Amino acid sequence: MRGRSLLWPLAVTLAALVAWEAVVAALRVKTLLLPRPSLVAGVLWSRAPLILEHMWPTFYQIVLGFLLSLVGGVVVAVLLTYSEIVRKGFYPLIVVSQIVPKVAVAPLFVVWFGLGDLSRLLLAFLIAFFPIVINTATGLTSVDDDFVRMARGYMGTRRQIFTKIRLPHAMPLIFGGMKISITLAVIGVVVAEFVAAQRGIGYLIVMANGLLDTPLMMAAIAALSLMGLALYGVVAGLERLVVYWQVRTETPRGGFA
Amino acid sequence: MRDSVVVDGVGKTYAGGVEAIREARFRVAPGEFLSLLGPSGCGKSTLLMMIAGLLAPSRGSIRVDDAEVQGPRRDVGIVFQSPVLLPWRTVLDNVLLPVEMLRLRRTDYARRARDLLSMAKVDDFAAKLPHELSGGMKQRVAICRALVHDPALLLMDEPFSALDAMTRDQMGLELLRIWDVHKKTVVFVTHSIREAVFLSDRVLVMSPRPATIGFETDVKLPRPRTMDMQEADEFNRYVGLLRHSIEAGTRP
Repeated sequence: MRGRSLLWPLAVTLAALVAWEAVVAALRVKTLLLPRPSLVAGVLWSRAPLILEHMWPTFYQIVLGFLLSLVGGVVVAVLLTYSEIVRKGFYPLIVVSQIVPKVAVAPLFVVWFGLGDLSRLLLAFLIAFFPIVINTATGLTSVDDDFVRMARGYMGTRRQIFTKIRLPHAMPLIFGGMKISITLAVIGVVVAEFVAAQRGIGYLIVMANGLLDTPLMMAAIAALSLMGLALYGVVAGLERLVVYWQVRTETPRGGFA
Repeated sequence: MRDSVVVDGVGKTYAGGVEAIREARFRVAPGEFLSLLGPSGCGKSTLLMMIAGLLAPSRGSIRVDDAEVQGPRRDVGIVFQSPVLLPWRTVLDNVLLPVEMLRLRRTDYARRARDLLSMAKVDDFAAKLPHELSGGMKQRVAICRALVHDPALLLMDEPFSALDAMTRDQMGLELLRIWDVHKKTVVFVTHSIREAVFLSDRVLVMSPRPATIGFETDVKLPRPRTMDMQEADEFNRYVGLLRHSIEAGTRP
């Protein structure tokens, strides 16, 4: 069933690549403008050492930024759930802060936190942590009153109600947030690398752009996409393990507001 | 013998000024099966939640085992209208939840949990998740959970109302069987007259909001109760009696 559901998108992708190849060949489109997919694949292979070298810093920044968002997002969500001051005072601010386009803040981050890893990490965090906060807070507070009453009836403490009821109940929604967050972390890191970096896939894309090396640029984009897909796959796989009690649906879950 | 539950002049008025219960006054003897019978929304569940220590009465006092109720107690088991099983826990782990909450040793109670499940005929499902069980089976598991820590008092809030009629009769019989073995005091809330007569030693009828206890009768049918009794004249005499008292209470 699962193997089969992958068959169709793969077939469509393949067909699109073949069509692309054919159109570029037939119309003699310049490589600078739009290289053939086979050429991009060739560059992906022949320049693999270079691409991998730049992929590593991007990869660990994404993972680090994502983990930071996860921990930070869950902590903020717990505070939102249990502290009225945080809920009334900070929640509206957190929501409003999401209106500011984070991409626009990237140069400012470089001014504040320098050209190093820190500014990239912080930008990834800033972009990726919001869905975690929203989903976790929704999950923690959407527990049916009956469950809480039942637990209190058996003398459950606030802490027990949190660990044994609210948190597991929130798990499916937290994973929904994580799946959005991991893709946003990719954006955060790459945008920061556009602005200021000496390495990373974002840097490689800008550099290839400056050299008018479109095939390398597209190879870098392809590598980045594959990495993003793999990271998403890891989160989705973890979800299957952790949220084993959920009856699966075809579409991905996520109560992202 | 001292009473298991004493409800003394208890009333409940909600914050908005809605008076749910005007005055309730009754006692439950140890080992007695008492039903609170009344129409929907008459405040009988509210009364039960106050006995459970989950709601505070506005007036009067409630004593369980000679101690004033000030919050949930460890020697009380509660069965709610819906099973409220945690979907991520297996049946056995759901039954053991009170043991964990009360910080008792799990190993000391795992055996008892299994015995209860086997008595409720759901032991084959001990390792299954709740969504694999039928409604009746889930409620049996909820009853096992309410009994696992061996409480003296079992509070049941319309536990069978979500089940179909046939399952409901079956569950009643099984509840009586378990009650007979474990000898608990039971306070059972229901809006089904037949269910109240079939299960109880004594039935209290609650009038609609603001509720008072309007009528009370001992049910002197022999035990163990059997399904056939539901056709007996004596059974139907009790049903008639209670129905008249409810109709008298609801008449404007």
